[in-house]
Amino acid sequence: MAGLTNRSSDDRVNLGNFASKPVRVIITIFVGLVVLFPFYWLITSGLKPENQYFATPPIMVPTEITFDHFVAIFTKHDALMGLTNSLLIAGITTTVTVVAGSMAAYTLINGALPGKVKGFFMVWFIIQRMYPAVVVAVPVFFVFQQLKLLDTITALVIMNASFNIPLVLLLMMGFYSEVPYDIEEQAILDGCNLFQRFFWVTTPMVQTGVVAVAILTFIFTWNEFLFGVILTIRKATPITVLISGFVTDRGLEWGPMAAMACAVVFPVLIVMWLAQRSFVSGISAGALKM
Amino acid sequence: MIINRKIHQNKTDKFLSWLFLIPVLLILVVAAFVPLGFGLGLSVTDYEPGIENTSFVGFANYIRLFTSELFQQSVRNNVLFALMAVGLELVFGTFLAIIISHDNRSNRLLTTIVLVPMTIAPVAAGILWRMLLDRTYGAVNYFLSFFGIEAIGWLSDYRVALYSIAMVDFWQFTPFVAILIVSSIKGVPRSFVEAALADGASQFKIIRKIVLPIIAPTLVIVGMIRFIDAFKVFGTVFVMTGGGPGNSTLLLPNYIYQEGIRFFRVGFSSAIAMVFIAFMFILAGLFIKLRNSQMRRFE
Repeated sequence: MAGLTNRSSDDRVNLGNFASKPVRVIITIFVGLVVLFPFYWLITSGLKPENQYFATPPIMVPTEITFDHFVAIFTKHDALMGLTNSLLIAGITTTVTVVAGSMAAYTLINGALPGKVKGFFMVWFIIQRMYPAVVVAVPVFFVFQQLKLLDTITALVIMNASFNIPLVLLLMMGFYSEVPYDIEEQAILDGCNLFQRFFWVTTPMVQTGVVAVAILTFIFTWNEFLFGVILTIRKATPITVLISGFVTDRGLEWGPMAAMACAVVFPVLIVMWLAQRSFVSGISAGALKM
Repeated sequence: MIINRKIHQNKTDKFLSWLFLIPVLLILVVAAFVPLGFGLGLSVTDYEPGIENTSFVGFANYIRLFTSELFQQSVRNNVLFALMAVGLELVFGTFLAIIISHDNRSNRLLTTIVLVPMTIAPVAAGILWRMLLDRTYGAVNYFLSFFGIEAIGWLSDYRVALYSIAMVDFWQFTPFVAILIVSSIKGVPRSFVEAALADGASQFKIIRKIVLPIIAPTLVIVGMIRFIDAFKVFGTVFVMTGGGPGNSTLLLPNYIYQEGIRFFRVGFSSAIAMVFIAFMFILAGLFIKLRNSQMRRFE
């Protein structure tokens, strides 16, 4: 009966009490361990000297700690270049995608376009979210070769933008359609044109939505791997591609590999923790709206 | 979802309406329409970089594809992988969702924790698990040794490797499934549960008879999304096994990559890609139909 006396005043159902408290605590600890242990293992592997990560049985708590691997990824494995590239690619892609996507979403909701245009975009975006990036990988390589854009950040920005636009558009269309049309009409009567309404009136009202969409785009782009592999040779290589180099090259260097994986993972985790709410709402809306 | 708005706008606005679409259209043309058309064209040729005399071969690539043993194997692998991973994710995701839907401090902490795996790059998850699952130096076999289980070649044994890959997908995306189901559970009307409690129903009965039927449409949609995503897995396999041992973990995206980028059989690889898109089209059609029928049930 505890569900009925819960202090939450809203109309929401409460199922959390179906298991007794000790059971819930055990489940929480177990889930926490399964999720977090791999990260503990990753960090300690990055800190162990070679004789400790190649030990049988494996050493759970390193008795000796070294920062050599974290230094090595910067001095020997170009981690700084990879991080800079990833940051640039993700940052520019996010800007381009959010600006272009919001503009298109706005005009599809509030612009003077025939209904067919909207229909076309909706169908296209569902299609694009269905096929994996790899089906265009080979032709994309030739297209960017023709454009002389191989191994440039521009190429990766274009590809990442294209694969994030469907989600951004879908979400932004949802946000714009929630703004009451009276506000648009009032702005029209006040003599604002479409651009002014988009920029000064309506978009400021969906700010939180813009933030959620930007965070999702940033994380997805940071994590992107396929186009990084195909379209870069050296100077535009993102960090996700650098880490895969440790497996395809001969011999597994676990220490530097683990250190590099930390460099891939932790920036994104920081972004996620800072913006957890936006992340959750964005990801659920994106999935259920498609 | 999207209200049709009455539009009475002047010429400037009409012009601007179209102008606003141009950035997105430009990106789509360069990154989607042209490559897709180009890929379709390549799929009926025997083009290989570095070899002169590309010629039109009609449907030869497609015919070769459907008789190819490796293609059939990668389809089988991919379907098996998808069924396994998505099945587990739905079952455990629902279970996890029921636990974390109760909004108190420890559950909010748990929500934050479970967000971690789905946020990290698939390649990073692959690397992480490659280290943990190593036959000799990995922690998983070490833990199992406490229970007297002998070392398993998680990634080196061709009978086990596909399950290991599915397990990593399960680890990474169960939280995603759980979070989507949580929002659905929160939509269950409280009065239903109260009435059932007043009639003396047990918690399990409430979950089975009230909650599950109400969240069923969400389960279907989430299951479909995950099923489609299971055909897009690339980075994880790339770093964990590269498709091996003996092609036992070769999924369709890796197969396309291998043929087109590693072996330069561009024509053939494009044919696989086109078949893949056609297959996803059918799946998408089914998906939209299913979603619409579920949505109707929901209303």
